[in-house]
Amino acid sequence: MNFIKRGFLGITRKKGKSLILLAVIFILGNLISGAVSIQQSTDNVESTIKEKLGSSATVELDYEAIDELSEAELMDLEIQDVDIDLIKQIGGLSYVKYYDYSMPTYLGSENIESYQDEEMGEEVITHGPSMDFMLKGINYAPVLDFKEEKGKLVDGRVFTEEEIDEGDSVTIISKKLAEKNNLHVGDTFTLDSAVYDFDENGEEDLIGSRDVVLEIIGIFEPSSIKEDQDENPENGMMDMMDSEYQNTMYVPNEVVIAEENYQMEQLMQADEAFAAMLEEEEVTFENYTPIFVLNNPEDSEAFEEEVAPLLPELYTVVSATDQYDSISGPIDSMSKLAKYVLIASVIATVLITGLVVLLFLRDRKHELGIYLSLGEKRARVVGQILIEVMVIAFIGLTISLFSGKILAEQVSDTMMKADDHEPSFEDMMFVGEMQTNMTTDDVIDSYEVNLNASYIIGFYVISLLTILISTAIPLVYIVRLNPKKILM
Amino acid sequence: MLLEAQELNYYYQDGEQLRYILKDTSVAFEKGKFYAVLGQSGSGKTTLLSLLSALDSPHSGKVLFNEQDIKKIGYEKYRRNNVGIIFQSYNLIPELTAMENVLVPMSITENEIPDDQKTVVYNLLDYIGIAKDKADRYVNKLSGGEQQRVAIARALATNVELILADEPTGNLDEDMEQEIVDIFKRLAHEHEKCVVVVTHSKEIAMQADQAFHLKKGVLSTYE
Repeated sequence: MNFIKRGFLGITRKKGKSLILLAVIFILGNLISGAVSIQQSTDNVESTIKEKLGSSATVELDYEAIDELSEAELMDLEIQDVDIDLIKQIGGLSYVKYYDYSMPTYLGSENIESYQDEEMGEEVITHGPSMDFMLKGINYAPVLDFKEEKGKLVDGRVFTEEEIDEGDSVTIISKKLAEKNNLHVGDTFTLDSAVYDFDENGEEDLIGSRDVVLEIIGIFEPSSIKEDQDENPENGMMDMMDSEYQNTMYVPNEVVIAEENYQMEQLMQADEAFAAMLEEEEVTFENYTPIFVLNNPEDSEAFEEEVAPLLPELYTVVSATDQYDSISGPIDSMSKLAKYVLIASVIATVLITGLVVLLFLRDRKHELGIYLSLGEKRARVVGQILIEVMVIAFIGLTISLFSGKILAEQVSDTMMKADDHEPSFEDMMFVGEMQTNMTTDDVIDSYEVNLNASYIIGFYVISLLTILISTAIPLVYIVRLNPKKILM
Repeated sequence: MLLEAQELNYYYQDGEQLRYILKDTSVAFEKGKFYAVLGQSGSGKTTLLSLLSALDSPHSGKVLFNEQDIKKIGYEKYRRNNVGIIFQSYNLIPELTAMENVLVPMSITENEIPDDQKTVVYNLLDYIGIAKDKADRYVNKLSGGEQQRVAIARALATNVELILADEPTGNLDEDMEQEIVDIFKRLAHEHEKCVVVVTHSKEIAMQADQAFHLKKGVLSTYE
């Protein structure tokens, strides 16, 4: 009949009190379990979404900093370009898995037709000369968009290093564009590099034109930018994004630069004042957008810290993971609420369980006095009570582990429905090359309350520690017990 | 001597005055004898027993067990290994059976206890007059006399030489009182125990091998 056995007998022989304590711990355990469960789930959402957002980063003008400049400062402002050497230097950092820098230009064609989304119908009204095709110059031969699964190659091949370096007239076009114009790998087509000038009335005037003949080396398919979208009128923006990507043609950067140069030369020939101004200011036509894919999304912060000092004034690093904050609203508020509930429930558990245990101990004063009169060590009497409370607590908490999960699911559902809205353009992330169609709904969809190991361990550690603290306080009562006063 | 009290003083503060419960009390007890300490209510006999059983400590003086100060032995350890205490109100644990109540001190003591503890307890209870069927009952289902027998068995369970009893028959009728006194006499005379009973009953005092009278904190031999 040692103190451990006495502890277990105390539970079974005092069923009423054990059940009351079990009920109290079960109720409080539900609060802790629910709060821990929501916290864990929101943490999981953050890592899942950041993983989905990818680990890309770019360097761009810090528009917020520019907005803060005074008018005088703006007048004197000379914005430097991010040159290729700097891009290569950043690309050489250990955080970077691979990188690219690209430059786009828009061309029209009389030889091929652009892809138009049927659902968009007549809604798209274009003004001015047709510039339906975006030539996306790239420097990374395997095509970074394919590596990042924005699109995938379904036919042909990607570029070779030689084609990129020498600026060969080769291209990779979308499957839908190829199908619409009955084009295949190995075929060639012609784009018009037309240069227009506009008079005072806004009338266009063709000042130069030349053919750009490209050979198709590969065909790609976008990775479902429109997938799973319902009949939401705001989806028009996504349709447009889809159409633009379908009409995108990957080419070596040199192809784009050649057309940019041609167009500028034509404009300079047509307008001497413009030519004089450009010569005076030594304007270059190479303006690249770099994109760096990091080894790990968690490296974003360290990457930003290391790159920031290398950048010209008024430039900043923007990471894909930065966008999480803009779409994490419902999850953030739930995470905050769960944190407050957890703190409140831990305090309530300490107070309520402590009070219940103290009342039970007062009720058992006589029994405890008997043990002490028999010479039992106070530590063992304390141990007996701890065993009783902790065994009941373990049972109560284990039941509440499951019911708390259900509670957490219900609370989360209600909260997210209250905060739910259709995906809108504002929710989507647009950061140049890193645009993604991820919305608040994706964040909510990623939310899932799971009984995983970290949740179970986290819950047991927090709740058992709370019960231990709440029991330890009234146990001081045992230490102060005087058996003579109780028994004689 | 098995147990010896030397010049025990115990008092409480009443305003600026000290009110003595025990004043320079000295007494000695040996093995194989049944002692009675007789006194009226408030005479200090329960205080004397609480000091002898180490449930309380004196303001001055000392208690020697086998010529060793019980303070040095350690009060808790002394209670655990050297003394069995019997209370007027039995002080059994109601959620346990008679047998389990007797088992409790066996798990607490550091004295050598036979492995087959349950058999020892059943035999002990049988010797005291509690049959096996009653031994397995919860103690609150037993009569007062039976409960006191269980309390005596509990005091004997750790195989101690010293039994201290505080008004052990105070809640019992006369017939039962005599049965309990007979058990104490048997324990002293047949089993070489030192049994010290504090009581207000002259009948018990008359049957003791030696009796003391405690009045206003002063102990004297009872003739």
